[in-house]
Amino acid sequence: MTFEEKLNQSSPAEVWEEYCGFLDLSMAEYMEIQRRLLMEQVELMAACPLGRRFFGDRPPRSVEEFRQRVPLTSFGDYADVLLTKKEDMLPAKPVVWLRTTWEGGDYPSKWAPYTESMLQTYKTNILAAMILSTSTGRGRFRVRPGARVLYSLAPMPYATGLFPELIDSEIRLRFLPPVREARKLSFGQQARKGYKLAAQHGMNLFFGMSSVLYGTTRNLESISGGGSGGLKSLVGMSPRMIWRLLTALYRCKRDGEPLRPRDLFRLDGFVCVGTDTNLYRDELTKAWGLRPLEIAGGTEPSCMGTETWSKNGLVLFPDACFYEFIPEQEMLKNLRDPSYQPRTYLMDQLAAGQKYELVITVLKGGAFLRYRVGDVYRCVRMKNPQDGLDLPQFEYIDRIPTVIDIAGFTRITQREITKVVEMSSLPVSDWFAVKEYDERGHSYLHLYVELQAGSKQSLVLSQKILQEHLAVYFRYYDGDYNDLKRLLDIDPLQVTMLPAGTIADYQASTGSAIPKVGAPLETVLDLLDFMRKQKGE
Amino acid sequence: MDQLNERLFIIVPLVSMLCNTFLLLTVCSAKKDRQIHAFMALLLCFTAWCGGSLFMRMMLYPGPEFWYRVSILGIFFTPLFIYNFMHYFTETRGTFVLRLLFVVWIPMALLNLGNVFITAPHMVVQDGVRRFEYGVSPWLVLPVVLAAITLLGAWRLGARSVREDRIPFARFRPLVVGVAVLFAGTVAAALPQMVSLPIDTFVCGVNAICLYYALYTKRLVQLRSFASNAPSYLIAVLFSTLMLVTSYSSFDRFYRSNFSAYLDYEPIATAVAFSLLTMLLYMLVRRLADNLLDKSQRNQEAELRRFSTEVTKTLELEKILALYQDFLQQNLPGKIARVFLLDKNTGEYRVAGCTNASLAWGDSIAADSPLIPWLREKGYGLRYVDFQHTRVYRSMWEKEKQRFAEMKVSFLLPVMEDQELVAITVFSDQESEDRSRPFTAGEIAFLESMAAVLSMALKNASLYTSLENRARRDSMTNLYNRSYFTECVRRDFELCRHSELSLLLISFDDFGLYNELYGIQEGDSILKKFAAQLELLAGSRGMVARYGGKEFALSFPFCPAAVAEECARRARQWLEEETVGAGSKTKRFLTFSAGISAYPLAAANPDQLFSYANMALYSAKSRGKNRIEVYDPAARSKSPEQSGQERRKLADNCAPTIYALTAAVDAKDHYTFSHSNNVAVYASQLAAAVPLDADHVEIVRQAGLLHDIGKIGIPEAILTKSGRLTAEEYDIMKQHVEGAIAMIKYLPSLDYVIPSVIGHHERWDGRGYPRGLAGEQIPVAARCLCIADSFDAMVSRRSYKEAMSVEDALEEIRRNLGTQFDPTLGQLFIRLVEEGTVTLQRPSDPIPTP
Repeated sequence: MTFEEKLNQSSPAEVWEEYCGFLDLSMAEYMEIQRRLLMEQVELMAACPLGRRFFGDRPPRSVEEFRQRVPLTSFGDYADVLLTKKEDMLPAKPVVWLRTTWEGGDYPSKWAPYTESMLQTYKTNILAAMILSTSTGRGRFRVRPGARVLYSLAPMPYATGLFPELIDSEIRLRFLPPVREARKLSFGQQARKGYKLAAQHGMNLFFGMSSVLYGTTRNLESISGGGSGGLKSLVGMSPRMIWRLLTALYRCKRDGEPLRPRDLFRLDGFVCVGTDTNLYRDELTKAWGLRPLEIAGGTEPSCMGTETWSKNGLVLFPDACFYEFIPEQEMLKNLRDPSYQPRTYLMDQLAAGQKYELVITVLKGGAFLRYRVGDVYRCVRMKNPQDGLDLPQFEYIDRIPTVIDIAGFTRITQREITKVVEMSSLPVSDWFAVKEYDERGHSYLHLYVELQAGSKQSLVLSQKILQEHLAVYFRYYDGDYNDLKRLLDIDPLQVTMLPAGTIADYQASTGSAIPKVGAPLETVLDLLDFMRKQKGE
Repeated sequence: MDQLNERLFIIVPLVSMLCNTFLLLTVCSAKKDRQIHAFMALLLCFTAWCGGSLFMRMMLYPGPEFWYRVSILGIFFTPLFIYNFMHYFTETRGTFVLRLLFVVWIPMALLNLGNVFITAPHMVVQDGVRRFEYGVSPWLVLPVVLAAITLLGAWRLGARSVREDRIPFARFRPLVVGVAVLFAGTVAAALPQMVSLPIDTFVCGVNAICLYYALYTKRLVQLRSFASNAPSYLIAVLFSTLMLVTSYSSFDRFYRSNFSAYLDYEPIATAVAFSLLTMLLYMLVRRLADNLLDKSQRNQEAELRRFSTEVTKTLELEKILALYQDFLQQNLPGKIARVFLLDKNTGEYRVAGCTNASLAWGDSIAADSPLIPWLREKGYGLRYVDFQHTRVYRSMWEKEKQRFAEMKVSFLLPVMEDQELVAITVFSDQESEDRSRPFTAGEIAFLESMAAVLSMALKNASLYTSLENRARRDSMTNLYNRSYFTECVRRDFELCRHSELSLLLISFDDFGLYNELYGIQEGDSILKKFAAQLELLAGSRGMVARYGGKEFALSFPFCPAAVAEECARRARQWLEEETVGAGSKTKRFLTFSAGISAYPLAAANPDQLFSYANMALYSAKSRGKNRIEVYDPAARSKSPEQSGQERRKLADNCAPTIYALTAAVDAKDHYTFSHSNNVAVYASQLAAAVPLDADHVEIVRQAGLLHDIGKIGIPEAILTKSGRLTAEEYDIMKQHVEGAIAMIKYLPSLDYVIPSVIGHHERWDGRGYPRGLAGEQIPVAARCLCIADSFDAMVSRRSYKEAMSVEDALEEIRRNLGTQFDPTLGQLFIRLVEEGTVTLQRPSDPIPTP
């Protein structure tokens, strides 16, 4: 029975129970599902060469044994199998391979296999998120077959590209642009086309990356401010949308307020994905009249978490992955000393308010065991009596400090920057990079560079060279880098040249080293202050 | 036309009233709860409404005004009781609103009785037609508004329960239809065009039927209630009354024209005819109802009764399951049912039977499957699709989901025993079925009744099994006890007729000493641990039992002696580690000896299997303990030196004791001494020819030497009596066997000869003494002794008889083959003597030779 048939033939309570019933699980029930599915994964893994690599001939017989015997892993542990797509090494036959950027890796991309069963779970969970995005309370939701969906998430072979493909077989939704057409377009083209169609015919659901949503919202608001397309923009619009636009323009003019998306669209659901969601959220809510629901996921873990109707914290799906958490202190200790094996904690052992690095074991025949995804979450609360939840809720913080994520598009590590610095052939003596935010709330990479003492290179020219090299490098590795610039209208790279010796002097004066990537902002401000003082002297 | 109207105003309310009364009577037979009571109250309202209207038209006693008040009370209370019914039907919590409505409606109805809203009707006769006219006050708007509010409230209750998914909308459909018809009818009755029709009372009947149907779909009342006496009688009365009303004038004419002479008797004739008609109709209706409604129910009940009777007759699980399968096959032919039974050791549910024998053997439901707690919590039959919609379904393994999908599972029926889920019946659709046919409500109720019966039967069977199990097990080690083990070995022996079976007997060495040194508690502890270890070692290949205080027995069906030997070796290794090795805190010394025999290599029957294993065990003990011995008849073929050495060693060990005993006999009775020597020679030669293994032959020889030592305790007068012994003396003489045993049992190093000694006076036909054993139950060594003893006694001269010739003695043996002697061994002995293989000894002499 498809989702649409269920909507028609079952009561809303039954549909809710099937898809969103996991929100009613007690902590013990949740952990039991986790345990049971992990043991299934262990059984599958034990029967394949990849699994035997971790288990030997004696597979673990309990969760505890699994956690004791299997080390924490990263993509490098699987690269030989996954980059060459050796299916016979895997626990189950993949039906699709998804790709993402391998930040800090030997190759630009990394691949993750998806089994039939994983896709089924992915589908169920995405439908749950869709239901929840339209819900106003427990059991109250509004999902209509035939609804128009503006979909501006990365296309296949990225994980987000699977959403429409999976949902399409379950319920008749009118994707803007249609799924078949969207397959032929780049992310940027798809977003623009989709937005145009939405403006012409309206939309009911909106799936998008938080940063893109924010950019789109600002673009729309500028229509009322600056010269809009005038009558031209009315061409192709449905009468209903024309009516809405005209009345909205009239109201805006009358009240002296800008045109907001909420004046044009009546959204049932609003889903956003990606880093920095929290930065844009309030503004998006104000603009669209509906608080966006955040979902969590990635290429390796698939769709693994969603917010509830209150939209104030992620709940992780119990059947997507087996979750373990490395406390922030342990993570930092491990970053300082890579030989240190950090301790992990399970979902029922967390503390509210703490930050954790996520470790996952992909269930249902996935390839990753105790895999460090590189994402940091904060456990917001262990239970939510207001919503009647007995499960922990999380908030996505960012990537781990050694990775700089720009608006969810591009991930940069020390390795990439070192390569760019080398390629530039500039006499760079030292550098460090941090993620900063502009006045509009957009994130960008800020590279602080210091040339060798006595270098005759022009600082302005060096700055330009480095900026150019970084842009070229990222364009080469990440096709969506261009979209990032075009869609968000931002320059995600900024280079500041420091006088020679500044970093070394600062380090000598404070006695602490500045990490190459992800230094705390306070440290950066301190350094700049230090530099100014030095200049002043 | 007017007459027709007049009649309609009687017939329609009459039908409606009877209909309501009829439903009232049928629900009387249902199990009462608040919903049923609410429905009955509503039916009473409708009955009062229709009945009052009818009797008012008919101007029955005490008068139209009274019946009008009855009718109007019914009308006024209808919205209130509709709300009341809805309140209980939707199982709404809190009764504040309900109470409030009662508080408001009761004064409202009382006010109306005082003609506040509608005045009492007065009859108007116009153009010969009677009609009732009512006066209406403007205050009528009050009860009308209140009725609207009450009905809206009832609607809200329904809508809320649908929204909250407490009751599916489908269950409300009949209620909605009923109330809609009632509402439409009541409104229509007020229209001028409809005034001439009794539409309100008509819809009142329709509504009652709709409500009844709603309760039926909720399984609160059953259709079979229609077939009970009261409704049948009411239907008969209804039809006969209708017939009387419509055909009275014709009947009257007919009577008057044909029976004019008996006009005075017309009322009596009419009454009799009416009664007969009613009776006939009643019988007809009852028969019809029985056939239409009750038959299938009765069939199901009969099937259930039959099943219940049959399953309660047996306590065997297999039989109960077979009966259950038959029952399911017969009653649900289109479905495949698999019965999964709880395995209490693992917590799994394993398939124990299937209505299609070719399917699904080996299936099981894991102990931690989310299906188990879900079914346990629900406790009644459920659709599999309902489980798929639960949140816990997420923890199902993919292969479990696939297996259920392959099985096409559609319905799950839990069988509960107290709070425990003891079995699950999984119903699937036939492979050929494309679409699943869901069970009807009736079928589900039937299945649940059956599950209750099965639960009882399983409970009894499990109780019986646990008692039986308890009786079969040793309380300390929880191993099987000796008697059950022996029974099982005999059963396994039959199964292994064409294969192999080996038996291992283990006995701790000097266990009494171990107990004394380390305490009984420690002794018990090692027994328990050793028992557990033996179970592990035997695994699924063999069976373990506690054979005696310090003895264990293991049988290995379909396995050669090597398997038993390997098991014994590993057990010894474990014991070493446990007592002196790393496993123990302090070094303690404990060993065991083990004897093994195997079929068909050594033993030919279960008795021999035990006997030879015992023999091997005794041999191990006598050879210095802490040994594992396999009884091997082929040992004869060992090198003569080796065989001789072992024999000599055995003889050397026991020789001083045997010599001391025989010397004691010699001192008292020289005949017995020389007789014993001769018997030892004859018996051991016969045993060797059987062939028994060298150790066994040595045991026979020693048993021959000792078999009559019990005679030390027999008075000399009897021993040396020249004449025949009296019966009394013979009884005393017979005690020498027990006497011998009483002496030997104090010599642990010689106790292995006891079976041979005790059995040497047993007869093949079972008429011997002291135990009356027969045939091969008598140990083979004892049978050899018996022949040798008899032969030497016959060829010897005694104070009361002359010596027989060897030929005569052999002839005597031949004559008694199959009665006194083992026919095979007897024949062998005769042949050996005749061939000269047996060396004839000097006959025993009662007088010592100088």
